[in-house]
Amino acid sequence: MLIELDGVGVEREGRPVLAGLDLSLTERRIGIVGANGSGKSTLLRLFNGLAIPSAGRLRVDGLDPVTQARQVRRRVGFVFQNPDLQIVMPLVSEDLAFGLRNLGAPRQDVGPRIDAVLRQLGIEALASRHCHALSGGEKQLVALAAVLVMEPAILVFDEPTTLLDLRHRLRLGRCLAELPQAAIVASHDLDWLAGFDRILVLEAGRVVLDDAPAVALPWYRRRQEA
Amino acid sequence: MQELYVAGDTWLHRLGAGWKLLALALAGTLMFGLRSAGPLALACLAVAAVLWSASIGWQRFWAQARWLAVLTVFVAGFTAWVQGAEAGAVAGLRMASLIGLALAVTFTTTASALVDALAAGLRPLHRRGWIDADHAAFTIALTLRFVPELQRRWLAIREAQAARGIRASPIRLVVPMVVAILQAADAVAEAIDARGYPPERDREGARAACPSDETSARN
Repeated sequence: MLIELDGVGVEREGRPVLAGLDLSLTERRIGIVGANGSGKSTLLRLFNGLAIPSAGRLRVDGLDPVTQARQVRRRVGFVFQNPDLQIVMPLVSEDLAFGLRNLGAPRQDVGPRIDAVLRQLGIEALASRHCHALSGGEKQLVALAAVLVMEPAILVFDEPTTLLDLRHRLRLGRCLAELPQAAIVASHDLDWLAGFDRILVLEAGRVVLDDAPAVALPWYRRRQEA
Repeated sequence: MQELYVAGDTWLHRLGAGWKLLALALAGTLMFGLRSAGPLALACLAVAAVLWSASIGWQRFWAQARWLAVLTVFVAGFTAWVQGAEAGAVAGLRMASLIGLALAVTFTTTASALVDALAAGLRPLHRRGWIDADHAAFTIALTLRFVPELQRRWLAIREAQAARGIRASPIRLVVPMVVAILQAADAVAEAIDARGYPPERDREGARAACPSDETSARN
């Protein structure tokens, strides 16, 4: 999977949210850090067509996320910050089936694929539970399962640990480490990103540092403490 | 309704949602055809047997049915006072039977099965281009999903106001609630888009009758 940004910018209400991004993203684990309002979420949203560039050229696996959003969304799964707003069906199994139905998966495949993903994340027991009755950590795992069941090649996480306690934060981290898919994660949780391959530091909609975690994370921490 | 479904493997769980809705509609019509207490009492017993066979559990049933039972007793009592004891018994038994049947359906049917059944039922209207069956069914499922979320937000707003010493009033609660709903609606729409809605099969012709299907305008 290759994501290429060539001079990409995004404006909202005449104000630049992202500007002049030239990136080629090929690593398996990429972290994005930056203060609130630095453009992290908007950058992630570009990758599956939820945000539209106002300048430049963006390609995800050679596809344009604006004009080929459906194909791109088959490849790029998005895990939102707040699972309460991502889970759209009443029961866990129903929510996982929602994405598969949208993909047009054969009816006989839906059940086995749901079971496999729930097993993969160790949450089989949640299958027939009501989503609203789950804990925050369980909801985040269900939200991840709902994306994984669609078998995307790349996962995009927008601050996935913000609402989690330590136990679920660690559990989600273990799940992510075991996943074969490429992942791009925006987070304020620097410990979570320490083992990643590459870190992008965003400030005011621009990448101000693009380096390995050993370099980028201490640099970012010092800059925030200054 | 979100709380109601009870997982199980009884004959009622296995029966298709469409058949259950059809049976509910027919039984409802039949109940209004019965005008004396005797047959309605038998119908009530039959409904009790159906509920018992669904292995729902008395406590779970009563937790949902108690306020409906109060309402039933009130309607039966009022009818008896106005029209006499026989009319009161007929009204009470009819209402109890219908409530029991409706609960039997919702206790044993998942939201998605009900929604699928509704979509199938609306399909003839969809083919004529009068209604988009899948959108209508999905809207119902989404509503069911977010009722508890909205309750939670309502309570959170009330608690936040109470913590700041603001007395609860409908207007003070409704305004932040509307804002919260609009914000949530944007986020939910984005999540639905991200998960590939509307379904691919719809784009391949099943929705041809509904030219307004391209809901994913942001695509």
